[in-house]
Amino acid sequence: MSEKIKKRITENISKLMAKKSAYIDVRLVTEDNSESIVLYDGNLEDNDTTFENGIGVRTLFKGAWGFAATSNLSKLDDCFELSFLNAKTAAELVNVPLSMGKQKGHTGSYKSPVKKDPFKVNLKDKIDFLKLIDAQIKEDWIFKRYISATFQKKNQIFFNSEGTVIERDLTDIFASMMVMGIDNEGQMQRRSHELFSEGDGTRGWEMLTDPKLFSSHTGRIKDELAALLKAESLKYGKRSVILLPGQGWLQVHETIGHPLELDRILGYELSYAGGSFVTLDSFGKLRYGSEKLNVSAFGGFANSPGSFGFDDEGSPEGNYLMIDKGILVNALTSRAMINEANEKAGRKIFKESGGAARSTAFYRAPIDRMTNVNILPGKDGNLKDIILNTEDGIIVDNPTSWSIGSNREHFHFGCEIAWEVKNGKKTKILKNPTYQGHTVEFYNSLSAVGDKSTWQVGQVENCGKGEPNQVMELGHGVPVLRFDNVITGERK
Amino acid sequence: MMTKKIKNIFHAARKEALKKKVKATFSYHREKSHLMRIGNNSVSLNTSEDLIRLDIKVNIGRKQGTHTQMGDIISEDYVIQALNIAVEKTKHSIDLDFNPLDDIIEQNFNETIQYDKKLEVLDPSFKQVAYKKIIDTFGQGYNFSGSWSSGSTENFIVTTQNDNEAYHLVTDQNFSIVLKHPDKKWELISVQTGWKKSDFNVNKTIKEFKKLLPVYENNKGFKVKPGKYTVVLGPTAIAEVMEMALWTGFYGRTYEEKRGWTAKNKIGDKVLGSNITITDDPENTGTFMFGFDFSGKKRHKFVICKDGKLKNIIYDPQTAAMYKKKPTGHNIGGTSIAVGTGDGDKSLLKAVKSLGSVLYIPALHYINLPNQSKGIFTGSSRFNAVLIKNGRIVSPIFSSRITDTFQSVFGKVKIISKDSVSVNLSNTYGRRSPVAASVPSYIVTEGIKITDCADSF
Repeated sequence: MSEKIKKRITENISKLMAKKSAYIDVRLVTEDNSESIVLYDGNLEDNDTTFENGIGVRTLFKGAWGFAATSNLSKLDDCFELSFLNAKTAAELVNVPLSMGKQKGHTGSYKSPVKKDPFKVNLKDKIDFLKLIDAQIKEDWIFKRYISATFQKKNQIFFNSEGTVIERDLTDIFASMMVMGIDNEGQMQRRSHELFSEGDGTRGWEMLTDPKLFSSHTGRIKDELAALLKAESLKYGKRSVILLPGQGWLQVHETIGHPLELDRILGYELSYAGGSFVTLDSFGKLRYGSEKLNVSAFGGFANSPGSFGFDDEGSPEGNYLMIDKGILVNALTSRAMINEANEKAGRKIFKESGGAARSTAFYRAPIDRMTNVNILPGKDGNLKDIILNTEDGIIVDNPTSWSIGSNREHFHFGCEIAWEVKNGKKTKILKNPTYQGHTVEFYNSLSAVGDKSTWQVGQVENCGKGEPNQVMELGHGVPVLRFDNVITGERK
Repeated sequence: MMTKKIKNIFHAARKEALKKKVKATFSYHREKSHLMRIGNNSVSLNTSEDLIRLDIKVNIGRKQGTHTQMGDIISEDYVIQALNIAVEKTKHSIDLDFNPLDDIIEQNFNETIQYDKKLEVLDPSFKQVAYKKIIDTFGQGYNFSGSWSSGSTENFIVTTQNDNEAYHLVTDQNFSIVLKHPDKKWELISVQTGWKKSDFNVNKTIKEFKKLLPVYENNKGFKVKPGKYTVVLGPTAIAEVMEMALWTGFYGRTYEEKRGWTAKNKIGDKVLGSNITITDDPENTGTFMFGFDFSGKKRHKFVICKDGKLKNIIYDPQTAAMYKKKPTGHNIGGTSIAVGTGDGDKSLLKAVKSLGSVLYIPALHYINLPNQSKGIFTGSSRFNAVLIKNGRIVSPIFSSRITDTFQSVFGKVKIISKDSVSVNLSNTYGRRSPVAASVPSYIVTEGIKITDCADSF
């Protein structure tokens, strides 16, 4: 970043503070690049790059936010002015004034752990890598094959009116592979695998090319698809459900992550994403799940798209428990939201921002988002141990469908595959599995939590929230989980 | 509006692509967006964006690549540098096993019919005043939230295949406000959409809330037991379920690959009820009308399903090339779906008077597809959902889940309203791209499966 731009930013902040703004923050994104490659049935159907850069300015004036963004830095002064004017208009209708509180300015930086920058790997090598996997999943009986890889790189410098300056260099890689086939009833079935991490390691090209995390799963998904094509459908009934991490991350995402976003709890997302069944009174009281349920935010591991050092308000990413032995104790939070929540509750529920204010691009204002939302490993052994202790149940993996109530109080999931479990043994594969439940009742039926050997970090590339909608990257570390007495399959 | 200078830059870049002997499509997308969000009876965000995107698609033989860049288009060099990136990507690509179709702008297009300068430059205070009037009418005892997006979208396309230009300028707005009871937790919503400033009327929202509030204030929530019910779907539910049905049943990729619920059907087969007709009609004023697609193809009225029979399949250029079909003008962000109306009374309550108990579900939250092959979808009721008995609204209903098939919901429709409503279906994940459907204000279907119900709204 040139000193000239930096000077203009600080001058503009001073100018707007002189107009009695309460707080200003600025995100200068010098590069936000993404590359997407998709092989579909061996055809390179997507071969795309997108480059973005620009500046977003957020101004708090008399309890209301104004925001403006531009990709043209020659219009930087106008952008500041528009942000201020928008805040002034917003301030005409304020019944619950927003406040950022007061904090000392600080400096910091964060860089995703990367050995080999994926943007320095040439396109041919990337395509060759995907072609190699494509060759491994290609079979005459497989109807369609899909392999995708997305690479993201972002440099962002954050400034605020308290003097904070934070520079971040973020790198992410997402990849998935899928095989599809037509079953004995003419229905499409599929099996897929997504690039995951185990929390440690680095996030560069080396992550994608680590066979353990991606390419070694080709044989497994083919074998499972072959079995699915001959399988019976899951029949309706109540039974135990064992979630593998490929499904568990989405369960956690939709029914723990989203309902614990503080802006949702406070009612800021009602017109689109929805609210939350959690209220401010729930913290410290609500038995969200059984004693086996321990949920953390961030989790302190580096190799995840939800690990980013500092949020888009400059707060360090918080590492803390949100659910402790089944009791709800904290949420995903940002500065303005914790001030409002504590004031409304009349008690200090939230001591400090959890560092969860995130914006997807320079042209979007930050909102409360997930970081990493994780279920901590338990003491119920590995998958084999959990199966051994299951009388009547199914094991499910990878989502095909998810539909959640507007306050996240109930849900319905469809999965790619199920394995029947009878009297401690895995018996047969079942197709078209679905299960549904009510969130609190479901987590209170949590009866087994796998140990560290079963724990994986699911990488989420496309969580949508907000108006205008913001797509966000994040992670979920989850072990194998078993829930009892769950409605599975569809009523006739 | 787009300057002549930018147009000239695009034509210069086009010449450069011809010189490089590559086939290229240059697309300009500019959005001037404004959004006001309401939360806890206050403006929670007031935001303006003015963003320009340049999209370049390059074909060299059977190889293809695309590149997008955000920023002001200031010079030929800026566009040519982006072209060079796209060309390099394409050179290092691999051959497709089919011949991709060329983008050809079939004629010069210059579309501004749905542009309203007043809406494009709307002063944010107009929105703030309207929200304040609604909040003041009903009082601070309720919790109000919502959003109001408005702005303009400008598209300009040239290709190396000929000298034609395609230009489209549209304005759109999408207003919503949610009224929530802070203790009882029920939520009412009012939405409005349109392409001009005058399409918004604050009193319409106030009237809607005044009509429903007594029902919610004076009656407890009704818990629907799982089972089969006569259900009245309102416009948002019809549009969103229909959108899913189209995507999984009438799009070429899903159809050719036998992934959807029409996989076993051929053109002319009966797939939905005899009273269901679905058209993509770019001349329907209840939609955002786009007369060409991003490959330059002129868009015509396109009948997808006529009297329940499968009439046409939608093919984007890539799928058309792959399966040797003709593209149908659907390389576009959104279609102009129009669902045919019927003869049902304009008054929903009159229409269902003789039907006993019916569930009115105007919108479904978070619809998804547990089984595309069978056409199964699921989603739950949310705003403004009520139990009606003998033509009278008797109570609000708790969040209830429908899990059923498209063939059932659109296959056994008993009554379709005679009037239509415009439903804004714009996706705000990325760039501004207004999409709306024109649908009946309600449909009544018997035997719809409710599979779950919460203890709350």
